[in-house]
Amino acid sequence: MDFHYGKKQALHGLNLQIPARKVTAFIGPSGCGKSTLLCCFNRINDRIPGAHVSRGAIRIKGKNIYDDDVDLTQLRNQVGMVFQKSNPFPKTIYENVVYGLRVHGVSKRSVLDEAVERCLRSAALWDELKDRLHDYALGLSGGQQQRLCIARAIASKPDILLMDEPCSALDPLATLKIEELIHTLVKEYTVVIVTHNMQQARRVSDYTAFLYLGKLIEFATTQELFVNPREKQTDAYVRGQFS
Amino acid sequence: MTTAAADSTPHNPFAKRQSHRERNELVTRWLLRLGTYAVLAAAAAIFAHIFIKGAPIVLSSKAPFINTAFLTKLPETLHIIEDKQGKLYETDPKGSDVIKQQLGNNFRQEKTISYSGGGILGPIIGTTLLVIVCMVVALFLGIATAIYLNEYASHGRFIELVRLAILNLAGVPSVVFGLFGLSVFVLGAPRFVSEPLERSLLVIPLGFTNLSFEGWDTSVLAGGFTLAFVILPVVITACEECLKAVPQGFRETSLALGATKWQTIRKCVLPFALPGILTSSILGIARAAGETAPIMFTAALAFKDKLPWQGESGLMGTLTQSVQALPYHIYTLAARIPQNEYSERAQYGSVFVFLVLVMSLAAASILLRRKLRAKYKW
Repeated sequence: MDFHYGKKQALHGLNLQIPARKVTAFIGPSGCGKSTLLCCFNRINDRIPGAHVSRGAIRIKGKNIYDDDVDLTQLRNQVGMVFQKSNPFPKTIYENVVYGLRVHGVSKRSVLDEAVERCLRSAALWDELKDRLHDYALGLSGGQQQRLCIARAIASKPDILLMDEPCSALDPLATLKIEELIHTLVKEYTVVIVTHNMQQARRVSDYTAFLYLGKLIEFATTQELFVNPREKQTDAYVRGQFS
Repeated sequence: MTTAAADSTPHNPFAKRQSHRERNELVTRWLLRLGTYAVLAAAAAIFAHIFIKGAPIVLSSKAPFINTAFLTKLPETLHIIEDKQGKLYETDPKGSDVIKQQLGNNFRQEKTISYSGGGILGPIIGTTLLVIVCMVVALFLGIATAIYLNEYASHGRFIELVRLAILNLAGVPSVVFGLFGLSVFVLGAPRFVSEPLERSLLVIPLGFTNLSFEGWDTSVLAGGFTLAFVILPVVITACEECLKAVPQGFRETSLALGATKWQTIRKCVLPFALPGILTSSILGIARAAGETAPIMFTAALAFKDKLPWQGESGLMGTLTQSVQALPYHIYTLAARIPQNEYSERAQYGSVFVFLVLVMSLAAASILLRRKLRAKYKW
């Protein structure tokens, strides 16, 4: 698959298959295209003028998501995303979680209530927050906010959960909590995570892809890629001897 | 080598160094300071002058502390009657005959001064109605345009051109807006009538009635629309700034959750931009309230002895009646009639009332902003 931002090519001939119900991590230096690749999976970079897939296809559930008959709202309903910066809406915790459901026309109170509990439980927030569901979400700590964003992303029960450096703005303890959370989420969702932190990729992922300058250098199980990389560049990068 | 004198006053490495930089610093600071003070002094002088001259007319020292007649009566001609002892009687047209009869032979002379008697209820009501129509139209058009430009339109040369056009609109003299309103809204806008006028530009028969492009006449509606166009550039620019201030992350997240574009704007952009939009628009509207030229041809009369809902069609016809408006009333008193102490009194009273109205609008916008800012913070 090739991907362009206008005339500038950002991804060159990528080809990989992401296993379901596993955590796949994209690693690589800044600007290598790992976030671009992630944003292709729910087409959120359609917003950028000139961004387009110039060759090849991305298939989710057997369907090329760049086909004309793909409805973006349905796609994004089934492919959730958590961003680098935790950005809950300035609304209540409750409203944040049910946002995805509301925009898809769910308004029955019992369904929403049930979804809030389910999502907050999955995001390990229920016990902390069950008494203050109607407080403003911006009063939460950074780690809680990011977990709330995860809860918000899984409200519509997506098949795939994309995470763009979800821990880069968090302290080590909050990071640890998110990582634990990823371990439990993977039982129900396919998780794709972009991270700068190689230790984190090693801790949370089952598979790892190493990207460099818009090319896929190596894709293997995490164990293999870190312990026994096939490519010299990968070896240099995971050992921190990159130049 | 150190001498004894140098030891007693140790070398200061941070001592001031005389240079032209320091002098420049001082001169610049004082220039800036004087500029600020000059503005402040001018504003204070204006306010003080109006307050000193205007307050005694509107406020009174006895309960209820407000000259209610001035605020609740329509403007009328003031009659001044002088008797042979030089005593002056101020009265309205009806009272003048009564007093003349009472005085009998003692009557010396009578002076009449247009518009300076009674109160200014007509202009207050007129300006209020104009501002309401203007606000509705300007907010609707302004917010719609800003949303389109900022959220939907793809960035390109055409959009830059549109922006430029909007900025240029801000530089158009307000009297030109008045003439624009005259030709478009007063003489050309569509309305439903059973019998179209002869000068109608276009008549579309609809069976039960006709849609005739014959204009809305001199009316609140025509004036309000014209005023809306005067402040549109300000409103659009302010709206765009407020929309830009909403973090991109909200839009991305909302879209990533499967919301459509309009859902995103309605739920995640507009609610957070609205406080800013409202406050800056209110300031624009305060400006619209003070415009004279755009309403001269489109809505305002120098004198009218009826309130807008006292016309033929009653309350329903409020917006299709011409009105008096405060800025135009002030202009009439100041420039259209011979000056004397009585006209000056009415004039300062009107200016004072007008200033209070505008200031309360501005204060309301500041309060609103404070309140909403505290609510939506990110």
